[in-house]
Amino acid sequence: MKKVKILTIILIIILITMVSFLGVYMQKQNRMENNVKDYSYAMDLKGARNIKLKVSQESRDVVRDANGTEIMDAEDLTDEKIQEKGYTKQSEPYNSENVQKAENYKKSKELIEQRLEKMGVESYEISVNEQNGEILIQVPENTDTDRIVSNINTIGNFKIIDTQTNEVLMNNNDIKLANVIYGSDSTAKGTGVYLNIEFTKEGAKKLEEISNIYVEKEEEETEDSDSEEKSEDTDSEETEEETEEKTITMMIDNETMIKTSFDEPMTDGSIQLNIGSATTDVETLSDYMTQASNIAVILDNGELPLKYDIDENKYIMSDITDKYIQYIEIGVAGIILIGIIILMFKYKANGILSSISYIGLVSIFLLLLRYTNVVISIQGIFGIAITLALNYIFVNKVLSKINNLEVQSNKSQVSVAIKESYKEFFIKIIPVCIATIVFCFVEWTYISSFGMVMFWGILLIALYNYVITNTILKIRAEE
Amino acid sequence: MEQKTKNRIIIIISAIIIIAGIAIAITKGFNFELKYENSNKIELNLGQEFNNEDIKVVAEEQLNGQKVIIQKVEEFADTVSIVTKSISEEQKNNIVTKVNEKYETEIDAEKIEITPVQHVRGRDLIKPYIKPFSIATILILVYMAFRYNKIGVLKTIIKTIIILALTQLILFSIMAITRIPVGRLTIPLVIIVYVTSLIAIATDFEKKLQSVKNEDKE
Repeated sequence: MKKVKILTIILIIILITMVSFLGVYMQKQNRMENNVKDYSYAMDLKGARNIKLKVSQESRDVVRDANGTEIMDAEDLTDEKIQEKGYTKQSEPYNSENVQKAENYKKSKELIEQRLEKMGVESYEISVNEQNGEILIQVPENTDTDRIVSNINTIGNFKIIDTQTNEVLMNNNDIKLANVIYGSDSTAKGTGVYLNIEFTKEGAKKLEEISNIYVEKEEEETEDSDSEEKSEDTDSEETEEETEEKTITMMIDNETMIKTSFDEPMTDGSIQLNIGSATTDVETLSDYMTQASNIAVILDNGELPLKYDIDENKYIMSDITDKYIQYIEIGVAGIILIGIIILMFKYKANGILSSISYIGLVSIFLLLLRYTNVVISIQGIFGIAITLALNYIFVNKVLSKINNLEVQSNKSQVSVAIKESYKEFFIKIIPVCIATIVFCFVEWTYISSFGMVMFWGILLIALYNYVITNTILKIRAEE
Repeated sequence: MEQKTKNRIIIIISAIIIIAGIAIAITKGFNFELKYENSNKIELNLGQEFNNEDIKVVAEEQLNGQKVIIQKVEEFADTVSIVTKSISEEQKNNIVTKVNEKYETEIDAEKIEITPVQHVRGRDLIKPYIKPFSIATILILVYMAFRYNKIGVLKTIIKTIIILALTQLILFSIMAITRIPVGRLTIPLVIIVYVTSLIAIATDFEKKLQSVKNEDKE
């Protein structure tokens, strides 16, 4: 009966080992496909999106009034209108020679790094060429990559201007933070996604002043501007209405986000912009969230001192190929083999049984890593090696304790020996457990990969050995 | 051999390694992996599947044994990226010729650009790890202080910090002396040394705690 029990456990281990190492193949559209989930690999083992940013050498047409103030939204102005209004139009480089310096290159790199972190990119590499400002970024390839790429080189220039005079009322320096908030939208009768911009103490004061001025003087201003505008030639009634209304324009990278006037004084130092609302459509709501969060990330970290163009955007696979990973697997398997041979020779029957149990742990561990979606990086591979080494030390400790027993066939003595081994072993690895738990929560794939691998590894060592190794050795003691 | 003599020998050897390591790191610096050095890159569109190893052999032959990184580019993996410390026009032309011969392609060497690749700085490599390691170490020190208070809180904390710092210093010294490249394997090695040191420290303190408890009983 005891032999049957041991044999059953061994057969289960063999089965699990086969599933783990060979897979479960099923026919799918005239071909056999492995149904065992594949590992998730990190950027260092899989590959990365390589993005090269170059300092823009392009120019843009800028329309200025007689005082030299830039006219916003001047795209619609024809050359005739520009002349009529006394404006001038000239081509100006996005990045003048004065701003193309190492200090700005470094600042741009730092800002992009901050943006990547805020966008939740959990592993990236970034380098800057301090001679020409070229920035090379590597980010993991996933469903978020294109969103990251599209936001990475946005300048993030924030302005609140007087729509009529183009006077800049507020800018990036006035922003304290930007984030996304939800709220019920009474108009749309659903959930609204808002971009919340909180201003600094100074900014809040400015905002209050602006909102007061615009609210109080709205009618007067409209009348004033009416009289002014009457003298000017207007094409249509619609244009006349637009110029008459005293509004502010909120712009990001010279693109108008909103044109509005204040209904009431803004005293709390923040503005909430409705990005969109949806009643039940989660997907639409999620799109609005993404949109709002992209703007928030850009505003929250400040303005890039230079305009960058994307020069290269391609996926490059890792130089660590499957072949290298196979070599590592063979190496680890070789070490395990030597280890279990030593166990077999040193502890005879108990050693053989523990070795079989050890192989079972390796198999379950590898399956666990696949099904718990642990991202495997180089650090993760080292985590696997450390876990296997720790389990070997544990098994060796248990066997050594049993070996030192006077009567090895005494089940209760074996049980005590195993308990003692547990206590001695786990008390020594408590500091490692603390580090493991900390690493699990780190938002940096490489370190969290190590943390997660170790977490599951240590948990498995505790549980698996309690259930399998412990049982096998106790059954053997009964024999 | 007595424990004290053993300890002395270990301290002397460690000191020698650290001093030599620091001296080499200051004078020669660390040997960085190619990925973390300024380098040059060329990309060849083969328009067909290829073996990284084959391209590596061709590239190394033409680049006089310089280290190279071979990577497949884009989804179809029919373009190869060759990164090395420096590539001359002549070397580039030779690589293209050899690749054309091997894969029967007609890549025009004139159209292939040698692009400089800016290296990732060592400090950027280490930066993301500083905070997690610091938090983990602080929590471990708090645990150590509670668990081994009978040995002496201050003594436990100082000893743990010194051992953790010294082992890392020895690791980096060995890397400087042996010219093991600093790169992707550096952090995993740091983690292994960190974990091993923690287990060693805990084992040592457990022994000491046991003897203190035994003394108390007596």
